[in-house]
Amino acid sequence: MANQPVIIKSNKYGLIVVLDSKLPFEELKEEVADKFRSSAKFFGDAQMAVCFQGRSLNLEEEMELADTISKSCQIQIVSIVDEDKELEEKMQRAVEQKEEEPGDLMNLQDGRFYKGTLRSGQVLESETSVIILGDVNPGARVISKGNVIVLGCLKGNVFVGAAGNEAAFVAALSMEPMQIRIGDVIARCSDRAPEKKKKKAADTPKIAYVEDGNIYIEPITKEVLNEIDL
Amino acid sequence: MSEVIVITSGKGGVGKTTSTANIGTGLAKLGKNVVMIDTDIGLRNLDVVMGLENRIVYNLVDVVEGNCRIKQALIKDKRYPNLALLPSAQTRDKTAVNPEQMVKLIDELRSEFDYILLDCPAGIEQGFKNAIAAADRAIIVTTPEVSAIRDADRIIGLLEANEIHKIDLIVNRLRMDMVKRGDMMSIEDVIDILAIDLLGAVPDDESIVIATNQGEPLAGDSSMAGTAYMNICKRILGEEVPLMNLEVNNGFFAKVAKLFK
Repeated sequence: MANQPVIIKSNKYGLIVVLDSKLPFEELKEEVADKFRSSAKFFGDAQMAVCFQGRSLNLEEEMELADTISKSCQIQIVSIVDEDKELEEKMQRAVEQKEEEPGDLMNLQDGRFYKGTLRSGQVLESETSVIILGDVNPGARVISKGNVIVLGCLKGNVFVGAAGNEAAFVAALSMEPMQIRIGDVIARCSDRAPEKKKKKAADTPKIAYVEDGNIYIEPITKEVLNEIDL
Repeated sequence: MSEVIVITSGKGGVGKTTSTANIGTGLAKLGKNVVMIDTDIGLRNLDVVMGLENRIVYNLVDVVEGNCRIKQALIKDKRYPNLALLPSAQTRDKTAVNPEQMVKLIDELRSEFDYILLDCPAGIEQGFKNAIAAADRAIIVTTPEVSAIRDADRIIGLLEANEIHKIDLIVNRLRMDMVKRGDMMSIEDVIDILAIDLLGAVPDDESIVIATNQGEPLAGDSSMAGTAYMNICKRILGEEVPLMNLEVNNGFFAKVAKLFK
């Protein structure tokens, strides 16, 4: 077996063609053609991806071999897979991560509307910023990679900048949240919540943001809004 | 055209069954054909509150499983001929029935009754799903406590997700003296959170405990709770009834007046 110049292995989706590394290319081509001709019946006209192993080939050689294969049998080669898959995946991941950072900006600037009251047990998740026309009741959760604005009473949990973005903010007409999480900073409401005091404090619209690793909740004023970066 | 109303709360012990019994009785007093269905399989007690326990022969599970006809399982109330009760089984559990079977059962009853009241079990599991499957509208019962309101809020969300959009609220066991002192949430506070229409408020009243234990619903009698439930029934029929004054007069003259009652 070891001295066979061409070995065909296969899995569910494709063929792995192991090539002899020393044979001259032209001879190798003949061998490949022979091999595939003899097993043409077995493969039929399946659609397959092909991967070459055991010999470094340049693009031209790869194409030539692929050509040879499709001429010798009915297989349709859908793609030629690179042998060094791991490296490719690594590179792909690196590229995708790069893309994510400008993506965050999109989350902050793009938005969607949600109309209705979010009740206990309900969760609203969003890739972008959210504007809620209604209340967020205790026990409800809003999770957004961008900002959250509640045109109503915020009494539940809210998590903004969910991808780790601490520039995100939460604003609400009535701010009485159980918990606010901005990026990785978490704040919760104080344990004692005297009813009468709460009423007064909740009257003005407020905004919550992160500064020096702490969450601040302040009435919405021009000065505060000037600090917000989108 | 009959209306199917589910009476639910999420939390247990806030007065679903008592409310069902009183609303059923009240609607019957107002001349409507009413059937109450106890959907709390395994923990039946609507029959006890109605004082009809000793008349049970067949139950809801028997009907669903085809052991008897619906007519055989319906218990006619001893006081009102136009009020009926379909009791639940005590020996089975919630999995004995599925939502499709409930819909089929209730569709059979629609032609004979003006109002079909479903007494829902506590919780949000199978029993709850069975109870709401066929409902046209819902009545949420809550007490002015944060835990009950939290559960009610969750239930409203689940009802809306199940396409039941006519949802009304009964605030039960209200104590005006405590509300005045600021120790209890007011009706306004409750509505503020739940954001649904108020059907009525029922004061915390000794007479309701007595009535429940005796198996005699008090809707329509002279007690405060009885009047409150009667008002609720009238509002269900579409009448405009102003909210009653729930304040209990415990002053000196009231006590003297009580002595002469």
